[in-house]
Amino acid sequence: MTERHVPPLRHYLLVWAGLVLLALTTAGSAYVPMGAFNTVVNFAIAAAKALLVMAFFMHLRQADALRRIFAGAGFFWLALLLGLMLTDLLVR
Amino acid sequence: MNRAADHVALQFDDAGQQAQAATLGMWAFLATEVLFFGPLFAAYLATRLHHPDAWAEASGHTDVLLGTIETVVLLTSSLTVALALRAGQLGRPRRSAALLGATVALGLAFLVLHGFEYLHEWQEGLVPVLRFGYDGPHAHGVELFYYLYYIMTGLHAVHVLVGIGVLGTMAVLAWRGRVGCGYDTPLELAGLYWHLVDIVWIFLYPMFYLVGRA
Repeated sequence: MTERHVPPLRHYLLVWAGLVLLALTTAGSAYVPMGAFNTVVNFAIAAAKALLVMAFFMHLRQADALRRIFAGAGFFWLALLLGLMLTDLLVR
Repeated sequence: MNRAADHVALQFDDAGQQAQAATLGMWAFLATEVLFFGPLFAAYLATRLHHPDAWAEASGHTDVLLGTIETVVLLTSSLTVALALRAGQLGRPRRSAALLGATVALGLAFLVLHGFEYLHEWQEGLVPVLRFGYDGPHAHGVELFYYLYYIMTGLHAVHVLVGIGVLGTMAVLAWRGRVGCGYDTPLELAGLYWHLVDIVWIFLYPMFYLVGRA
């Protein structure tokens, strides 16, 4: 069911502002020497941005469980692919 | 004004059920898009682990300013397409059409900026197979970086182009009042596609532009 409740404009603008802020933060943090932690920070920020887009722009926040499961399925598979690869690659 | 009740197919009880089925179907398709890009992310992971020094060196030759601007452009386009859907839900098809037009414009801007990047990299001889003149101890790893860079950003750009076509069509339909006025499912599905394209770039950006910058 497409949501009857239409979110206020303010919500969308706030999310957008947060996304842009995160983008600038990840760009800036890349120039701070943190060694391997730079990659961790960049990935964490990217994941946060993706979650914001999925929750608010793609309306998963208001969605029922079935839709969230469908939404998560592809990424769950990707986590398996990359995670299991790492269990091999990191111990070579 | 189109009403949702006019569009219910035989197998559905009501418009709401049809809309939910459509959205689930779109999410299933988006999962296949993750399957599409996923192995490329895996290739990136494996290759980067094997060539850490080359990766930082190669990333230094990407245009981080353009890449950052492109990121903000796509994030803004996700906002405009989300607002276009909202306008449709509020029964404002012309406003929806305008916002869809803005999304298309931002998508085109992204492609143009990216084109400039490709042009500069061509001139610098950083295009594997076609024009690669990079030298040094890490040249092999740098070349692998750029293989992945062109394949992943290129595949992404194709998706942006498809999205522009779909959203442009939606804009025309909305302008004519065929969608965005009680019947929003096509808008919603097109928006979902566009958001996924944005999410892919959200990850591509730090992967290629922000490695070893410190």
